[in-house]
Amino acid sequence: MLETLSLMGNGFINALYPVNILAMIAGVTIGIVIGCLPGLSAAMGVALLLPMTFSMEASTGMIMLGAIYCGAIFGGSISAILIHTPGTPASAATAIEGYQMTLKGQAGKALGTACIASFFGGLLSCISLYFFAPVLGQLAMKFGSPEYFWLSIFGLTIIAGVSSKSMVKGLMSGALGLLLSTIGMDPMQGVKRFMFGQSSLYEGINVTCALIGLFSMSQALVLAEAKIKQRAKAAKFNDKMLLTKSELKELAPTIGRSWIIGNLIGILPGAGASIACFMGYNTARQFSKHKELFGHGSYEGVAGSEAANNAVTGGSLIPMLTLGIPGESVTAVLMGGLIIQGLTPGPNLFIGETAKMTYTFFAGFVLIQFFMLGIGLLGCRGFAHIARLSDAILIPSVTILCVVGSFAIHQNFVDVVIMLIFGVIGWLARKFGLNNAAIVLALILGPIGEKGLRRSLLLSGGDPKILFSTPVCWVLIVLCVLGVLSPILMDKMAGKAIEEEQ
Amino acid sequence: MKMKKTDIGVCLAMYAVCAFFLNMTLKLPKAAQIYPLCVIALLAGLTTLHVFNMVIAAIKSGIESGLDDFKDFVPSQFFILFAMIVIYLALMPYLGFYIASVLFMTASLIFLRVKLWQAILSEIVIIALVYCAFTLFLEVRLPAGSLFY
Repeated sequence: MLETLSLMGNGFINALYPVNILAMIAGVTIGIVIGCLPGLSAAMGVALLLPMTFSMEASTGMIMLGAIYCGAIFGGSISAILIHTPGTPASAATAIEGYQMTLKGQAGKALGTACIASFFGGLLSCISLYFFAPVLGQLAMKFGSPEYFWLSIFGLTIIAGVSSKSMVKGLMSGALGLLLSTIGMDPMQGVKRFMFGQSSLYEGINVTCALIGLFSMSQALVLAEAKIKQRAKAAKFNDKMLLTKSELKELAPTIGRSWIIGNLIGILPGAGASIACFMGYNTARQFSKHKELFGHGSYEGVAGSEAANNAVTGGSLIPMLTLGIPGESVTAVLMGGLIIQGLTPGPNLFIGETAKMTYTFFAGFVLIQFFMLGIGLLGCRGFAHIARLSDAILIPSVTILCVVGSFAIHQNFVDVVIMLIFGVIGWLARKFGLNNAAIVLALILGPIGEKGLRRSLLLSGGDPKILFSTPVCWVLIVLCVLGVLSPILMDKMAGKAIEEEQ
Repeated sequence: MKMKKTDIGVCLAMYAVCAFFLNMTLKLPKAAQIYPLCVIALLAGLTTLHVFNMVIAAIKSGIESGLDDFKDFVPSQFFILFAMIVIYLALMPYLGFYIASVLFMTASLIFLRVKLWQAILSEIVIIALVYCAFTLFLEVRLPAGSLFY
């Protein structure tokens, strides 16, 4: 207990180093810019800027990526409120009430509400990060090879959860990712597998290249396929952004409820901010004393949606940091960031020297919320102009950043080609209903599962009973079954939320 | 839900991937074949399950084109831009990163009819950003171009 408190305290001291503060400011600003640009997502932004964190300390790099994540989730609300186009899917529910407030000349109040609700949602989500992550991490320390095999299977069943339309197609995407993860040296036999004569594929496909291709390059291709349209002009506003004491008091219960909803959804693998925002919005309406304002510009609706989607951020980090299981695309990209720094997500992050890095990141995550509040309130007017940036400029700009980002990893041109191939795969996957997040999850988890399975069988002399030998194995098997069934539950939750909203 | 015609292509592509990897797997030593074979069987099995679902959907609800996601697709714009990206990457080892990037950005911005001042400004911003972040800060040695060195 004392050790944990000391780690927490030191985490804050380390997070306050100037370099970390700079990373927070830069990350939040970049994140808000990416978030407020319709068509660019949080996952895409984090993937695109991943290579910039290579030379940084692990904690600084993770703080910067975390800042981009939080900034992007909030940034989506700016275009949702001012031009009625959610910058990210996580702000879809914000657009409903936010734009109505803009039409009533209350754009400033809507933006202020979004900013303050996002701040509290994000800040409160850190509580669960501090309390649940170390507990789960300690549990995971007891895992051996069979448990790691089942853990990766559990991660792969989440693929069904992250699939938006068809569960089978999601699983097919995962199986394709698994197959691609076999490229490289066989971990037990030392045999070259499917390397096409490229020595740079010795350690398998570089996950960062795949991430940049699947999330960023494919997005540039998506933008390139449609006719370039002029974006709507952002509404000008002169009203105050800061809320009064009584307004804040009125919003407090809404923010509290949305925090719990968002946090739980964040922890659940497969769910994400886009579901949380609708659930937060609906709950705000159900409990509101001014239900008649909903649909005509209710700031409670904006707060409900924004607090919920930002509360997802802290919760979603828990399964990734403790078990090495990313539940959705942004955390998969963040996991890529950890791997690049030579760290293995999982219980090891809570031991020894690495624990210092982890707690610095946690403290940084708390401080990020304050910077998000400050930069959000001060910069909203400027960000509103950026939201109008044309796709015609974004297409070549994103392409160049993808190229330079993938080249920077090993200063190797083969990585650029791999990135482009994954960009095309990602674009095709989007067009034909496959799932990019599932491909990435399988690419990350495939080698872990393969090693777990083959080591277990080696230890038992080929007897598969070892895979069912401990209670933890059985718990994980049950979780796998639940993982497969989760999409049905998620569909019902999302369907109900959207139905109630209509 | 109706069966999508485009899913036929998806399934054929998946079977082709399986066949391609199966062919390569059979050339590996016996002990190294087991795991890839399991994964290939998994992908083939899931694809077959999807084919089964498609047949049921076709019988129950009928067939649709599945081209809804392509309704805003402008083929000429997409393929010209994609060709520009490929040419950009092909020229980079000869011209170097910066010259190739400026040429690519200029060509694509002219093609997409971006106003001149916006094009110049965005080129300056992107090139400066890459130079500061990657060349100065990360000290990445970007391709210099074999024509010049």
